[in-house]
Amino acid sequence: MKIYKIFPLLLITIILLGACAPALPESIKIGVNAPLTGDIPKVGEGTRYAAELWLEETGGTINVGGKDYTVELVIEDNESKGESAAAVNTKLITQDEVLVIVGPQASKQAVPAGAVANDLETPMISPWSTNPATTLGRPWVFRTPFLDPFQGPVVANFVSEEFGYTNAGVLYDIASDYPKGLAEFFQMGWEDIGGSVVAFESFTTGDTDFSAQLTKIKDAGAEFIFAPQYYNEIALIVQQARELGFEGPIVGSDSWGSAELMNLCGDACKGLFFSTHYAAEGATGATKEFIDKYNAKYGYVPDDVGALTWDAFNIVKKAIEDCGAITGDIDADRQCVRDAMANIREFPGITGNMSFNEEGDPTKCAVIVKISDEGLFTFYEQVCP
Amino acid sequence: MEFFLQNLINALQWGSFYALIAVGYSMVYGVLFLFNFAHGDVFMVGAYIGFFVSTFLLAADLTSALSLPPSVTLGLVLVMTLIISMFLNSFVGMLIERIGYRPLRAAPRASAAITGLMIGIILETGNLAILGPQRLAFPELIQTATINIAGVSITNKKILIVGVSILLTLALHLFVRRSKWGMAMRAMAYDYVVVPLMGISTNTIALMTFALGSALAAAAGILYGVAYPVLDPNMGILFGWKAFVAAILGGRGSILGAGLAGFLLGFIEIFVATIFPSTMRNLIAFGIILVILIFRPHGFFGEPHSAQLRL
Amino acid sequence: MTTISASWPTTRQRIRAALSKLWQPYRPVPLLGWLLAALVAVGMEQLVGLPLARTLGMSKIPALFGALVVLDQPALIPSVLLFLILIYILPVGIVARFTAPFTNKIAARLVSYPLVITAVIHLLLLYAVLHIWCDISDYRVLVARMAMIAIILTLSLNVVNGYMGEFSCSHPGFMALGAYVASVFTLVFFVSENQFGEALVPPALGPFLFPLALILGGLVAAVGALLVAIPSFRTRGDYLAIISLAFMFIVKSLFENLEIVGGARGISNQPNYASLPVVFAWTVLAIWIINNFVRSTMGKALNAVRDDELAATAMTVDTRKTKMTAFLFAAFWAGVAGGLFAHVLRYINPDSFGIRKLAEVLAMVYFGGLNSVTGSIVGAVGLTMISEALRPLEIYKWIIIPIMLILIMIFRPTGLIAFTEFNVERLFLPKDKAPEGAEDATA
Repeated sequence: MKIYKIFPLLLITIILLGACAPALPESIKIGVNAPLTGDIPKVGEGTRYAAELWLEETGGTINVGGKDYTVELVIEDNESKGESAAAVNTKLITQDEVLVIVGPQASKQAVPAGAVANDLETPMISPWSTNPATTLGRPWVFRTPFLDPFQGPVVANFVSEEFGYTNAGVLYDIASDYPKGLAEFFQMGWEDIGGSVVAFESFTTGDTDFSAQLTKIKDAGAEFIFAPQYYNEIALIVQQARELGFEGPIVGSDSWGSAELMNLCGDACKGLFFSTHYAAEGATGATKEFIDKYNAKYGYVPDDVGALTWDAFNIVKKAIEDCGAITGDIDADRQCVRDAMANIREFPGITGNMSFNEEGDPTKCAVIVKISDEGLFTFYEQVCP
Repeated sequence: MEFFLQNLINALQWGSFYALIAVGYSMVYGVLFLFNFAHGDVFMVGAYIGFFVSTFLLAADLTSALSLPPSVTLGLVLVMTLIISMFLNSFVGMLIERIGYRPLRAAPRASAAITGLMIGIILETGNLAILGPQRLAFPELIQTATINIAGVSITNKKILIVGVSILLTLALHLFVRRSKWGMAMRAMAYDYVVVPLMGISTNTIALMTFALGSALAAAAGILYGVAYPVLDPNMGILFGWKAFVAAILGGRGSILGAGLAGFLLGFIEIFVATIFPSTMRNLIAFGIILVILIFRPHGFFGEPHSAQLRL
Repeated sequence: MTTISASWPTTRQRIRAALSKLWQPYRPVPLLGWLLAALVAVGMEQLVGLPLARTLGMSKIPALFGALVVLDQPALIPSVLLFLILIYILPVGIVARFTAPFTNKIAARLVSYPLVITAVIHLLLLYAVLHIWCDISDYRVLVARMAMIAIILTLSLNVVNGYMGEFSCSHPGFMALGAYVASVFTLVFFVSENQFGEALVPPALGPFLFPLALILGGLVAAVGALLVAIPSFRTRGDYLAIISLAFMFIVKSLFENLEIVGGARGISNQPNYASLPVVFAWTVLAIWIINNFVRSTMGKALNAVRDDELAATAMTVDTRKTKMTAFLFAAFWAGVAGGLFAHVLRYINPDSFGIRKLAEVLAMVYFGGLNSVTGSIVGAVGLTMISEALRPLEIYKWIIIPIMLILIMIFRPTGLIAFTEFNVERLFLPKDKAPEGAEDATA
């Protein structure tokens, strides 16, 4: 029975103690919302590696207003699910009290997570999401990739100028946000410059047999195929197209840009072109430095996710530094970082120079890459908006 | 006509995988009355086992060891990979039966289905945890040779895949129809209460059913690797569910039915994508299946029965 | 053997006896007492939680009873335990025990009033507890809302898979129908500047007409269910399993092809109508109605159909009608849950309603227990919480959770709390006058 008498006393002591509890050590927390499990674990791995490499690179500290703050990464798994990404963001913001969030990558997670970040007034930057809804009407949400309305016409113009073709075939995944959007913008761009899309074929995520669609494309008289698909699907598409006797080029988008492409695709992919954010081979300066470090540490050339995540982290760093001071009041600091991020102009990222427009989307250049006979992604030309 | 033939050949190849997986589903469903939702992932494991076995065999460099011409070696490697992987994968199946299904023999069937679903998730996640997220490129065990007959391109791979899958399905069918073990399995499917009283062990039959099903799944996995050489941990999920549809479409307890339904599913998917806008493929393909089931509610070869849920 | 165990109690028996002794003073605590105690605990957390947590070395109040902290920083385990004891266990223990005479008196008094009033009082108390608990952090609000939506989903699937004994796979499909219909409804009527043009109705009306959107979503889901039900219930068998699976694929594919609702891109920016009280109200409504349904003549007929269809027919049960009604009823609630889900997440795309959602809902039903309302609530809340709490394990989370479920299936094949009746009236009764013998038998 004694405990009941002690209890109120104990409680009062604790409150008194709590009142004069020591202030927490000063550090900056950055949340990472990544798909470590689920459909796209490779993307999650790229995110995590880029984040850890960046942390190592900064030496674990950011200097704000003449004072060094320790940086702490809080990496959470969103299981490639929308609701899970929203929960992760809520947790990062309210529980871990992160200053800013990097991620999620895919649009299906970035859109709901962006809503949470915007509602709870925490800056978020998605390195990979291309859905307009991610940033639309959300002052707190930013992104680093260029958008599909830009990339689609870039590829269309390139093919027209390079090969002089007029009949295009398109093969894309209807159930996935990114390929579908890009396929449509390519179609628009292609028709704008006077070409015609003779076959506009689709499949569903997880499919591995494209023979029916490819047969249709071939029979429709397409001179080339535009396939804005992920590298694992590209390996199959290219091989099957060749087996069915399709001889024309197959052109792609930034989702091709992974070191894994050549492992999976082999010789069949050599000589093909795709548009992307940067060319790994023949890169110079900061880009080369990043690629070399990444390659040395993890054993493969980083794909676009890694490069874009790296850029996102450096933008975050710049925004925090621009902020000038960390007050310790998390709401004020978040506001400060958001404003600083929105004001970033001509940020020299490894995937191109970036300035954010009022929606939080960057304007930047695209690169056309040719896969060389050695299986390297070599720079072919640059297209700027 | 050319167009039709070309698609027919594509459909045959695509259907082969459904057929081989559906047969495994169908056996477990027929004999033990269970939905083995882990079967799609057993197929995935089979493909991975095939990957490791074939990589190992290729590294062993049989060409110089046995002084055979390179093309013969490749063929030998393929055959050995098939046999070894089928053998190994049958243990995976038996393990699943022992851990996930045997303790639930007396439980409601649906509970066993959930166990299967969970084992499937463990296999996927386990694969991801052990091998990491990168996808694997299945080694090329056959050099592609395209034969062009009247405008239709056929590859030697396609012939092999369709041939092996039809052969295996027929072999299994004969095993179940003609052999003593097969008779025991059919008896078990007929009455799982009385047959054990006749001295046939339910556990032995169950193990055998799982072993056979998993062996076929491994064969499907390797053939899949030959045709679509990109392996990833989630590759079995969609295949599994679709093969499940095919298995029930075939009718309970009919090996040939399941095989045929698998091929049919392949045909439907390919031809719907060919004739209609391919965006509508899943919509129309599953619509057709719904219609088939309305007119043949017991599948193609199934007999009307009153499934008594053991609840 | 029996004589030995009688004279030398085994460890298990001793533990049981000790627990029973510990529990003894809490036997006469009515539900009202527990709710009051919980209210005191969450109130205390609100008042002194943060300083206490700081003192114990944590930066915040542990959100999900410390599970996240424990897995992240094992060094904090003692602090978390101390926090839990001080904030939850001790206050609840003390308050529940010492207010028991008082709460029993009130509970006894409430018995004479109509059941509705008693229920409303309990629910208000429960909501107060939930509200104060969630007030600590937005994370709790989100988790609580997700858990409650999971309750509705699980319950509705339990009607088919548990009470009716069929195996249905179409719940994600029904959910998608409800989610899309409700989203389009609210976006068309109450939100300007989107793909559907200007708001047709003043947005201020939105929250009041939101139930209409949900009901409409539920009804559309029920119509979808009719498409599954007509072919599948002509014969008994496992055909429902694949027809419903095919239906799920069809619905997903349908929405992928419907450009007007965004195709694969989905719909975003739904108005924020599904707040905590709204979701709570709908969950209570769902539990109440579904519980009444399964306890009605229809529910009993459903059980009869499951156990023996022939016998049920002989007892003049119209098996087909019974099955159809139950299936449509379940689909309706899945649709409502979908509508709520869309407005909590404020973004939906066809991919959210695929096989992974199916596995999740099935797991919740079988984890909690077949044929049991309590079981469904436990399953839904339990699995949602576990899934959030194990987040720090990252990839191993999806190995641990399946293993846990397999073990439950092996040791309790029908789920944790299966085949029980959820008797609301008995729940509210005072406990002090309950016969001792009866209590012992259940303990």
